[in-house]
Amino acid sequence: MRRLLQEPLLHFLLLGTLIFGFYGVLSGEDAKSENDAVVVSAGQVESLAANFTKLWQRAPSEQELKGLVDQYVKEEILSREAVKLGLDQNDTVIRRRLQQKMEFVAEGLVAVSRPDDDELAAYLSAHPEKFAREPRFSFRQVFLDPGKQGAALAEVTADLRRQLRDGADPAGLGDGLMLPAAFADASRTDVANTFGKAFASQLGSLQEGSWSGPVASGYGVHLVFLERKQAASLPQLAEVRDEVERSLMAERRSRANADLLDGLLSKYDVRVDWPQAAPAIEISRNGEQQ
Amino acid sequence: MKLTPVALAVACCSAAVVTTTFAQSPVKPAQFPEGRPYSPYANRGFPTQVYWGDEHLHTAWSGDAAASGTTLGPEEALRFARGEQVTSNSGQPVKLGRALDWLSITDHSDALGVVSGIISGDPELLKDPKIKEWHEKMQQGGAAATAVMSEMISMQSNGTLPKAMTDPEFLQTVWERHTAIVDRYNDPGKFTAFIAYEWSSNPGGGDNLHRNVIYRDDKSRADQATPMTTFDSNNPEKLWEWMAAYEEKTGGRMLAIPHNGNLSNGRMFSLKTFEGKELTKAWADARAKWEPLYEITQPKGTGEQHPTLSPNDEFAGFEIWDKGNLNLLPKKEGMIATEYAREALKNGLMLEEKLGTNPFKFGIAGGTDMHTGLTADEENNFFGKYGTSEPKGERWNDDALSFEGRVVKDWEMGASGRTGVWATENTREALWDAMARKETYGTTGPLITVRFFGGFDFTADDALSREPANIGYAKGVPMGGDLQRAPEGKAPSFLVGARKDPMYGNLDRIQIIKGWVDDKGDTHEKIYDVVWGDADSRSIGDDGKLAPVGNTVDAANATWTNTIGDPELITVWTDPDFDPSLRAFYYARVLEIPTPRWTTYDAARFGITVGPEVPVSIQERAYTSPIWYTP
Repeated sequence: MRRLLQEPLLHFLLLGTLIFGFYGVLSGEDAKSENDAVVVSAGQVESLAANFTKLWQRAPSEQELKGLVDQYVKEEILSREAVKLGLDQNDTVIRRRLQQKMEFVAEGLVAVSRPDDDELAAYLSAHPEKFAREPRFSFRQVFLDPGKQGAALAEVTADLRRQLRDGADPAGLGDGLMLPAAFADASRTDVANTFGKAFASQLGSLQEGSWSGPVASGYGVHLVFLERKQAASLPQLAEVRDEVERSLMAERRSRANADLLDGLLSKYDVRVDWPQAAPAIEISRNGEQQ
Repeated sequence: MKLTPVALAVACCSAAVVTTTFAQSPVKPAQFPEGRPYSPYANRGFPTQVYWGDEHLHTAWSGDAAASGTTLGPEEALRFARGEQVTSNSGQPVKLGRALDWLSITDHSDALGVVSGIISGDPELLKDPKIKEWHEKMQQGGAAATAVMSEMISMQSNGTLPKAMTDPEFLQTVWERHTAIVDRYNDPGKFTAFIAYEWSSNPGGGDNLHRNVIYRDDKSRADQATPMTTFDSNNPEKLWEWMAAYEEKTGGRMLAIPHNGNLSNGRMFSLKTFEGKELTKAWADARAKWEPLYEITQPKGTGEQHPTLSPNDEFAGFEIWDKGNLNLLPKKEGMIATEYAREALKNGLMLEEKLGTNPFKFGIAGGTDMHTGLTADEENNFFGKYGTSEPKGERWNDDALSFEGRVVKDWEMGASGRTGVWATENTREALWDAMARKETYGTTGPLITVRFFGGFDFTADDALSREPANIGYAKGVPMGGDLQRAPEGKAPSFLVGARKDPMYGNLDRIQIIKGWVDDKGDTHEKIYDVVWGDADSRSIGDDGKLAPVGNTVDAANATWTNTIGDPELITVWTDPDFDPSLRAFYYARVLEIPTPRWTTYDAARFGITVGPEVPVSIQERAYTSPIWYTP
């Protein structure tokens, strides 16, 4: 109960009741006027029932429906009273939600027109960096753990590389590591995620068809036999159609929001009175600081 | 593995095609030991890769996120998780060190909405002549459609859109927008985007009973039911009822992941129902069915174990939040006992004896719960939990939570966590199925590869294999699995291995944590150090403790060196204290060597000094799902 008494909402409501009660006495108004009618239409009841059904996958019982209507009436009255008290003003959550709804409208409008193949092809060739296929590598590796090899690491590495170049079977050579000995067609990102970025960039510069190294990874050092390297390439539209469309539409949506704001800004005079200590900054039409 | 009659039939048929006569049929598969094919890669039905993701992320579509200054929505969140660079809520460029394999966006489940329906030519909308004109032009496509779009945007700016377009009857719900975006970014084989939401139950003024609801399904099923909100009910039993109704109606599948029991003031793993009644078998069945995973780590504190519950666990005091519930209403004595995962796993064994079902038989997940749309949990790339806590000097000293003088500071947030999923491929179905069978683990951020198998036949040599999964699946069960009725005279043995994250610190040690219930119904736990780095110079002392690994962190520069610890640890461990008549569980905890905490990166980059109460370094860790033993 003590906690309830500390609730700011309760204070608001009590204050509101007092103000309105006082106002009512002063103005001599009847407590009820036409504006105070809450009419729950048959359509509204059906809509409440439909929402319930969509949630619980069954129709509400008579008692549940009555509960929904009671809840609706309560929500309606309290939200009307809240608006009368001005509780909707300066509420960050409500303001941001309204902003979001405006943006949804703008974005929804973009969604109505899907780009055709010409537009997609143009977008693809304008943004090769977004859709380029990464280089891929097929390679084998033998691991050496600097912690286990200690001071002998350089010598052991050189010796092992000689053996491998002389045709030794790599199976069982080197130190244990829970990683496959061979990778086939691994993308540069996969290699970087598995071995670290330095390893991935060095892999690209190795010569194909021979054992090279040592190549350092996040685990230690590796001797690497690069079997095949496939260079980065720009795919055909058919291969990446969905990706291109997704990217183009995302760009259009964000442009639609920027256009919306730009259009609306032209209807407003925006003036910012900066506190004196702050540097003079002008806000441009598109809202960016200059 | 034995070949089934179907497999044999297939083998015979293909032989017939090649040789045309059965007389010359090739060698019979039965000649190979246990039916394993010669090719070590053939017939591998088990998961060979761990897929990394975040099961818990909010965007600007969550009211509290928007209120704290978040502007990035689900689309930006997905692009970021896939590895693209985006502009953060505070205008800073940001990119992940490593792209994720999957993401579930879990915005709070309230719904409202906006426009669409013109394309389909809704007859109600077409009554408006302007809309009819637009509809026709859009059917033409190309430049005509683009012109319509421009006109619409301009009319919206001027407030002159046809009324019908903003009529609530035609508002598309936020939920349907969410499912559309998520489906658009779901790329089977490359990146999985789960349809999901968070049901944010806070009874009692902030007792955190939140659940992330993860769908296996696509939009066509997910749109058939409105997500459950806390306006409908705060009671988890009602959520399970809702989930059951969804599955029955749509034929889809879903699971729920609870989180932050540490902020539930004793209610997350309470031994009573939500309404304070005795637990029943039906209740335990429902909880075990719908909640196969628990989020053990995230920025608002660690959920594994509280140090007061395990005074002998020197690693239990990790990123602890224990001041109160979500509104910081202080805890009463005894509440902590039903807030943490390890205690719940132990109580689950006790409840199974009583009720016949273990309600707390859950596997492990990790999430970020970021409210920024950015799943940026790397220590050196931490973008905070709220829009207001993105990188800036002195952010460490801001208030993360503040209620009537009760405060949690921003520095207390942990940069955490990730879920690793052992699955056969990167698709919604494969990942979700792995979650449902608990073949998952959680980490505080690093992508440490962890294998954990239990059986009765593992031998020390099995740890020499470079692909322990071959032996692990052949001889035992993976994390999340069950062992039953130990063979006479045998104790469970575990093949456990961990490979470090190549971008993070070396490994300090692997521990196996055992919990059991004795024949009086009392629960117990014991922690075993089973394999550790620098083994030539470290051993277990007379006090039963392994010497600490050391610390190489250079706070001034926020760096460390991997000169201590090991890049990989693997061993086979057999329970030395096994009693075949008692229920037990085992899970692995993998610890890294100390590395700089995110606040240490802040101090070095912004040239500031953080308070002495802020830890300089932390030991990141991974927690596997348990393997249970049932007599």
